[in-house]
Amino acid sequence: MFYTQVTNGKMKKTALCESCAQKQGVTDPNGLLMSDQLMGMPLAQKIPESPDFLKEGAAAVCPSCQFSLEDYRKVGRLGCGDCYLAFGAEIEQRLSSLHKGLEHSGRAPAGLLELEVKRSLIDRLNNDLEKAIASEDYEAAATIRDELQLAIKSLSEEESQP
Amino acid sequence: MMRFSTLLKHPSDWMTGHDAETSVVVTSRVRLARNLKSVPFPGWATKGQRGEAFFQLKDLLQELPVMSEGFAHELSDLDSLQKQVLVERHLISREQAARNEGSGSVVNRKQTLSLMINEEDHLRIQAIRPSLQLHEAYELALSVDKFLEDKIDYAFHPKWGFLTACPTNLGTGMRASSMLHLPGLVLSDQIGQVLKGIGKLGLAVRGLYGEGTESLGNLYQISNQSTLGESEGQILSRLTKVIGDVARYELQARAKLLEDDPLMVQDHIGRATGILTFARIITSKEALTHLSMLRLGSDLGILPESLIEICDRLFMETQPAHLQWRAGRKLPADTRDSLRAQIIREQLQPALPAAINISDSE
Repeated sequence: MFYTQVTNGKMKKTALCESCAQKQGVTDPNGLLMSDQLMGMPLAQKIPESPDFLKEGAAAVCPSCQFSLEDYRKVGRLGCGDCYLAFGAEIEQRLSSLHKGLEHSGRAPAGLLELEVKRSLIDRLNNDLEKAIASEDYEAAATIRDELQLAIKSLSEEESQP
Repeated sequence: MMRFSTLLKHPSDWMTGHDAETSVVVTSRVRLARNLKSVPFPGWATKGQRGEAFFQLKDLLQELPVMSEGFAHELSDLDSLQKQVLVERHLISREQAARNEGSGSVVNRKQTLSLMINEEDHLRIQAIRPSLQLHEAYELALSVDKFLEDKIDYAFHPKWGFLTACPTNLGTGMRASSMLHLPGLVLSDQIGQVLKGIGKLGLAVRGLYGEGTESLGNLYQISNQSTLGESEGQILSRLTKVIGDVARYELQARAKLLEDDPLMVQDHIGRATGILTFARIITSKEALTHLSMLRLGSDLGILPESLIEICDRLFMETQPAHLQWRAGRKLPADTRDSLRAQIIREQLQPALPAAINISDSE
């Protein structure tokens, strides 16, 4: 019989013969299986209510459909598409064990993809502009600024379409 | 609109027309999970919201040219036997069979395209092709996807892709799978190793009716598990390569078995033929086991080629719900077992004279 005790992250293993185990009062083999007891607990009790979940992207209830984070933890399903935004932080923690990557690289519904390409171009140009200014390369900054203005104009035209 | 009885009278498109290609990879399926933007997923929607989504999608889907003369029903219109028949044909999932009002099934006449409304997601687009044709199956599903995306707004996020009720389907929303007949790997005891290898590649292996079902008749489904982080093309190509490899191992295993121990192979096939042609009572599981050997015998040229198509049809027609549908009523298990034996005997009879010559092929 093996008795494993974990205290402050340190593991102590003790090998006990059956009679020693009885002397020490360890008679019920199930009494040792603390991991099983823990695993058998309702999920909500197992995961402590960490303040992390209350940060941005981790609401307790989806504002669009009222589905709760607790329900997601219980059933592993979501209430609506907006739940992904509401519980994003917690969902992302699970994604790496489920999928090859964390970001979509497949197709997008027609139209959405072009918008997205433009948005990411704007993000990139913004970053480049900041870097150019920080390194006092004002010539490059001017070129980037012009490109940025064009990109923003093109995106706003696209978005204003019905 | 096609009636349920008409649907059943016709074998699925993929069940007919066999060649060397289908000897290992029987079918390829691709399903896409899609949801409507700003509408709660079916499992969380109110009855009213679910009904609204159902009618919106059903009307749209029936406008698809490929669905003219198709089958479209709300699950509450079907009795439990009819639902089970659709499950056995892989046209609806077991999960959907448990649903009723506000959940629907739209199937084209050739049964190559099956659309499930309000299953776990608002819409599941499933395309099915014979042999290893995952890319072709995807193109078929994609045609429906493209038709719809102009008309409705999908729940989609640039970073996470198509948003699904369960995060396991997030991203492409695509699950691609092939059904493989692997008697050679089973008989040569290599199946465990091969399945383990597939698992290590991050792919899933399941039995005949998907998740949690056991493998019957040496039939295995191999599918992708990850749906996020790779494009549809990457997933399909990786899967196609692995499935192609497994199919080659299977053919090698069959060739080696014939070379090393032809008597054992012939014994298996001969016994299966004997049981199927003379049994009077046979369970669905036993029937699948022996039909698998008959199919192998036919593939190896030991039995007539015409048997493959008969075997594949019997795989389907001897399933419990198909049997009861044919009888026109619910039947207790023992009656099903005798009816099953009778149908198998009747169907195998025309191919029998050649089959009985099995011992002469030595």
